[in-house]
Amino acid sequence: MSYLNQPDYVCYVCNCGSLKPISKIYFCRHCSKIRCGYCVCQEVDSHYCPNCMENLPSSEVRLKKNKCSNCFKCPCCFQTLSTRAGHVPLRVVPADGEDSKDVKTTPKKVYYLSCSLCRWTSRDAGIPDQSMATGGWPEQENPHTSRINTLIDYHKILASIEKQQSERKKFRPKHPYMQIAMFRITSAMVRKHIGHPAKPTNESTDQPSPAVASTEVEELPTDIFTKPVEITKITTLEQRLQQPDVQTENVNELRPQHRQLLVRRSQRCRVCEHNLCKPDFCSQSAKFKIQLAAFYHVPEVRIVTCEPLRPGKSSELLLKFCNPTQHQTQVVLLPLDTPMTPILTLVDEKEEVKQDNAQQGSESPNLLPSIVRQVPVVEETKPIKITANADVVLPQNCLILPRRDDAAEYDDTGDTHNFQDDPKFVIWRKGNKAVIKLHVTPHENIEENNNQPVVIGFVMQYRYVNTITTLEHKAPQKLDLKVKLYLTIGNIVGSA
Amino acid sequence: MLRTYEGIRFFSDKQMVILDIGSAYTKFGYAGEPTPRGIIRTEIKCPDTKKLRRIYDYKDTEDLYQLLVEFLHALFFKHVVISPKDARIVILESLLVPTQFRDTLAKVLFRHFEIGSLMLLSTHLATISTLGVNSALVLDIGYKEATLIPIYEGEPILKAWQALPLGGQVVHELVKCFIFNWCFINSYFFNRYLMKSLREIYPNVDITEKLVEDIKVRTCFVTTLERSAKLGTADAPKPPPAIKYPGVKSINIPGEIREEAFEVLWERDNDNLSIPTMILNAIIQCPIDTRRTLAENILLIGGTAMAKGFASRLKSELLTLVKSSHYSEKLKIQTFMFHTAPSKPNYTAWLGGAIFGSVDLPLRCLTKENYLKSDRVPDWVSLIDNQRDESTVCET
Repeated sequence: MSYLNQPDYVCYVCNCGSLKPISKIYFCRHCSKIRCGYCVCQEVDSHYCPNCMENLPSSEVRLKKNKCSNCFKCPCCFQTLSTRAGHVPLRVVPADGEDSKDVKTTPKKVYYLSCSLCRWTSRDAGIPDQSMATGGWPEQENPHTSRINTLIDYHKILASIEKQQSERKKFRPKHPYMQIAMFRITSAMVRKHIGHPAKPTNESTDQPSPAVASTEVEELPTDIFTKPVEITKITTLEQRLQQPDVQTENVNELRPQHRQLLVRRSQRCRVCEHNLCKPDFCSQSAKFKIQLAAFYHVPEVRIVTCEPLRPGKSSELLLKFCNPTQHQTQVVLLPLDTPMTPILTLVDEKEEVKQDNAQQGSESPNLLPSIVRQVPVVEETKPIKITANADVVLPQNCLILPRRDDAAEYDDTGDTHNFQDDPKFVIWRKGNKAVIKLHVTPHENIEENNNQPVVIGFVMQYRYVNTITTLEHKAPQKLDLKVKLYLTIGNIVGSA
Repeated sequence: MLRTYEGIRFFSDKQMVILDIGSAYTKFGYAGEPTPRGIIRTEIKCPDTKKLRRIYDYKDTEDLYQLLVEFLHALFFKHVVISPKDARIVILESLLVPTQFRDTLAKVLFRHFEIGSLMLLSTHLATISTLGVNSALVLDIGYKEATLIPIYEGEPILKAWQALPLGGQVVHELVKCFIFNWCFINSYFFNRYLMKSLREIYPNVDITEKLVEDIKVRTCFVTTLERSAKLGTADAPKPPPAIKYPGVKSINIPGEIREEAFEVLWERDNDNLSIPTMILNAIIQCPIDTRRTLAENILLIGGTAMAKGFASRLKSELLTLVKSSHYSEKLKIQTFMFHTAPSKPNYTAWLGGAIFGSVDLPLRCLTKENYLKSDRVPDWVSLIDNQRDESTVCET
């Protein structure tokens, strides 16, 4: 939860240059690289209604114009409307005259829509009650639909003429007579080609009647200068824009709108086109089919405490490292200017390493063959806007973190691991977690007043065991990967 | 036979998305539909500052790029609900749009969202496809500015273009200024109206842009020319009734604000220009044979043109102006005729794009391959694209 509510103190630098906390980044196991929401390809995975949670296939979504057919939202406050059952309203009874007795003896159930938030009901708007709970509510139709359809048909004809013309232009210079046989030209084109005028009747029927302009325009109502206005009866702009085709001014003319569907997204790595995150198809489930979050693959860094920071003075900083993987890892901290290429180590056959490096450079060998993949569209990497303004003394020796063991969490008997740790460096260790001590010296030029936080940065190199087996690699690969981290450790307290 | 086949293909194909990114509101939907799927504000929460920012208030190209990425992401996944990858998109843009905005938008769409193809349509030109006529004088009065381009027989007469910074924004400024300076606040202590500045009485009441817009839309209107002439003089007509505006503190909106808010659109600026003179100046700059046709085919689009009484005021202003000494010599036109599009003015341009986008015109689209090869968007101001070449340019 702390990642959701707190400011981002520990930021990982993604390959695209974005700074994100570990909760918001992905780790592509196929490229062995960090990805984030900015540099992955997002796709619409499934559609669902946020109210009734119904899943809809995409073909149906298109037919229903991306709206749920059962759920409505209030035209006034945009909350979901509920269907209420009621008896036949009394005001209907006198209109029927002698039938009133029948109605009373067999009370018919009717349904209307009502908003529990703003108390709008479909009865207020004058929509007749329905005898079925599921609906049959009158649909709003755009009054201009047929006119627009004629215009669309007309433009389709224009487009086909344009296409024919361009085709004719393309092929004319070569064989002026061949094309008639080859490209199946319409009779109109043949007529034109041999010099006959095009049939005039054809055009006139296709052309829709053009709109007629008039000198008359909508005049300002004369009573606007005298009539007092009740503001609550006038719709707001938001309410109007919910119904773009009507945009009524009168509150009573608002009609309930179908609820819009929401989507679940899946994320795909742009380079290797593997899914990084794919939600479960069932809209009620909060699980994932594929979830390659960095949280499960990259060591997590947290700030434990930091001594008060003074410009030019050294302070102690305690950082907690946590290994989330099922394999032992070793972490080395390196200065910021370290080159970021990953180092392939400990692969069984030495030759393979050479081959890979020669062929693909820094690319991981787990990619699909390049024929299958599309050429990835390259987006420029974002420049890193944050700069470190404190020096940090990085230890030379590496920190070994054992694998995650869920059972060990509850084991209080003590550490069974026996690591030869430098007590000045590692000050606490339990299970797959360890706390290390670093010394931070903020730059002299930071002043207390200007509210500039102290930022340190380093490159974390960690050993990653890739268990994905590919055709070339049967055995798990061990890789030394690097990630850049920026930590906001606090503000300056007092002067030097 | 041909129709049914096309219908099937249209359905199986990926739908074309039509976007009209206006300075205040973005209209979005699919090609071939009579109404946009929705109209949303052109603003997004800035990921760094967590504040709502308008897209058009960008600082530099880099800033615009990030804003557009965030905005289009929300648009694609929350509103249009389509996977942007390989999608076919139509964007409506003014011919006068800054190159910086245009290029950055194309870059975001192709590089970040990897869309399949992009068709950039001129707002003014696409709009006339909603009418079924070939010539019209299209005046777009939006939020930031009013732009006018006459279209004659399907060709924009570019030399007669007009643009003025008149639109919703200046009206908002005026309403805000009115409210700040002499607003009537219903005081609970004195039980009478105090004529004091709002800021003096309730310094905490936040007059947001949204509130101003709401006041404008719900209460203000464009008054008639006769009344407007008398405003501010001794025999000023009785103002329309005041409106009590509900809220945390109820604000009383005097009739004067309601009536005078839109007057800023009709006042002449230092160059003696206003919305009606835009139309007349454009007609004068057009060839003499086209003038009558254009004057009799005026189409008003844009949200500000929906203000109550706007069209009737424009008509009476035009008729008065044409008789004035400045124009009576040059212009012999006596009648002005207005078109009504099969839509509301604020999404007419979108509808034009939706009609235009429903037809298959692969020649007019910029595909991903072409963009990635050339890394630029064809533009009419660039001589590379705007040359007479029979093989590449396809004229209708």
